[in-house]
Amino acid sequence: MSEILEKISTAIIEGDADSAPGLVQKALDQGLAPKTVLDDGMVVGMNEVGARFKRGDMFVPEVLMSADTMQAGLVVLRPLLAAAGVKMLGTVVLGTVKGDLHDIGKNLVGMMCEGAGFEVVDLGFNVPPEKFISAIKEHQPDVVGMSALLTTTMRSMGHTIKAIEEAGLRDQLKIMVGGAPVDRDFAERIGADGYGSNAVAGVEQAKRFVGTA
Amino acid sequence: MAPSEQLPVVLIACKVFQSLLAERMPPGLCEQVTFMDYGLHRVPSNLTWSVQEVIDNIEQPSLVVLGYGLCGNGLNGIKAGPHTLLVPRADDCIAILLGSYKKYIQEFEAHPGTYYLTKGWLESGSNPLQEYQEYREKYGEESAGWIMDQQYQHYERLVFVAHDQEDLEKYRPQALEVAQYCERWGMRYEEMLGSDVFVRRLLEIAAALDKTDEEFVVVPPGGQIRQSQFIR
Repeated sequence: MSEILEKISTAIIEGDADSAPGLVQKALDQGLAPKTVLDDGMVVGMNEVGARFKRGDMFVPEVLMSADTMQAGLVVLRPLLAAAGVKMLGTVVLGTVKGDLHDIGKNLVGMMCEGAGFEVVDLGFNVPPEKFISAIKEHQPDVVGMSALLTTTMRSMGHTIKAIEEAGLRDQLKIMVGGAPVDRDFAERIGADGYGSNAVAGVEQAKRFVGTA
Repeated sequence: MAPSEQLPVVLIACKVFQSLLAERMPPGLCEQVTFMDYGLHRVPSNLTWSVQEVIDNIEQPSLVVLGYGLCGNGLNGIKAGPHTLLVPRADDCIAILLGSYKKYIQEFEAHPGTYYLTKGWLESGSNPLQEYQEYREKYGEESAGWIMDQQYQHYERLVFVAHDQEDLEKYRPQALEVAQYCERWGMRYEEMLGSDVFVRRLLEIAAALDKTDEEFVVVPPGGQIRQSQFIR
């Protein structure tokens, strides 16, 4: 990894939002492509954040600051990614499921998907199945992503998938689930197509669904 | 499965249940009682290995009663080894403190954005006000406020659960202090008397395992606690 990309990755890990735009600009000035800065700098940092969070070496405040840093970097990168003709990978509809008000993880996945080139439709939190269904009808997404923080609300994911099936919309899209209590076994049991253990894994899953990873 | 009266009973529980359990435990029921630190569930894997370590150190095959819920998957994957495990079939301590899974779900469906306070959580400093103060020290006032907003801005209600009038009155000033801080998100404050039904049933079943029902998870020797056992 080049020195500047390493600095960008470190800034993400350390949650240094103030220096992120400058570092990203510097990398671009050195001739690095916007997508390289994103994939080999920012995403590498975010991946490490996900791993440390899972191990208990990083906590919610630090993850929030890392997300904020990612956002600050993306403000510089986003127009350039668009201008460089990084084609839209597809549409992702995202939401935290019914009964659950926690949206930090879901927002992070949204940001990462947007950075990767997806059109993101964020339905917010406490999203009932019917709202997912009307969004699917309206936006015809390639991927639906659902998030939950509580084991209590995790059940809503299964209910939502069932409702999507009953509405006859299940075959036209892929469903991924995530959130602290969710694991692969649960994802399979409720009939999701994929699972992400953190935000980076979430966007990787979305990319695999549209055949670009 | 051997009748439980033949097995020594070992209780491993979160400190949040300490007074509730200790006051209701029949004398001589337990060979060993261990109350674990509050807040291990914040990093669920810490809860898993901490409880597993206590289980693994029990010398003779026992009925191990776990005073926990699934707790953010903290109990997922715990191995029984030579022991039999008995666990309330609850997502977390709130259902146990309110008396039943049904009561918890009723509350949850009516008011999803509820943060529960208990005397245990107040004593251990696990509440939004304390959290803010810790963040302020570590990250400064502005960042601390921002971090708190990110975590709690969608919550609507703060409920202080106590199990008798005396505790309610004793801890009310502390609860109100937290409530005042939580007003920044428009959270309203309520008080609720909990129920000891879940805890009493747990102790009854610990004394006679054949009385178990669908409100509890029993894992036989060689088995493992699984998230799926809690989902209903």
